[in-house]
Amino acid sequence: MITQKNIYYHELIGLEVEITNSTNPSLIKRKGKVIFETRNMLFISDSAKPSKEIKIPKAICCFRFKLPSEKEVEVKGDLLVGRPEKRLKCKRVRK
Amino acid sequence: MSLRTRKIAKERINILMKLAEEIHKTKPHLAQKYYKAAWKISLKARVPFPKKWKKRICKHCKKFLFLGFNATVRLNQNRFPHVTIKCLECGGYTRYPYKKKGSKK
Repeated sequence: MITQKNIYYHELIGLEVEITNSTNPSLIKRKGKVIFETRNMLFISDSAKPSKEIKIPKAICCFRFKLPSEKEVEVKGDLLVGRPEKRLKCKRVRK
Repeated sequence: MSLRTRKIAKERINILMKLAEEIHKTKPHLAQKYYKAAWKISLKARVPFPKKWKKRICKHCKKFLFLGFNATVRLNQNRFPHVTIKCLECGGYTRYPYKKKGSKK
């Protein structure tokens, strides 16, 4: 189960996402579903045009993910940087 | 590897393979990418790939097989009763034996 604590280690593909903040103003308030993920980028299908793919750098954005349990989580993009298989292990959040 | 990491890895593999199954008709190349991502997670976390998905993978070219699209399935009785899966991408055959109902062995 994806929760607010383990989203840094869990799968992002298939989640609904909205960009709340970014250094690139054209990306703010974009919504969609995560299609694919690489080390530095998230590939999102636009909710307005599902056939269109948007490529978003992780490090410059803040994301709001909608979890399967219908809760919402705000996440800083630079904590998500990393290859999907490597994000399993690395400690992301320091107390 | 901690128990928590292995648990998350198993969940991630199942999520990715289910998504690949849903999406293979519209975007077959994405489905193959999801399988590869799931495979990398199983290698990194040292978690065995689930059995129900393992038989859907071609032994030779390592592609995710979708019956009717890139694979055919036949039953064969030569030598021993077995299921023959033919990969239409590489032409490779995979055979799985099965027991007939009422057989003693």
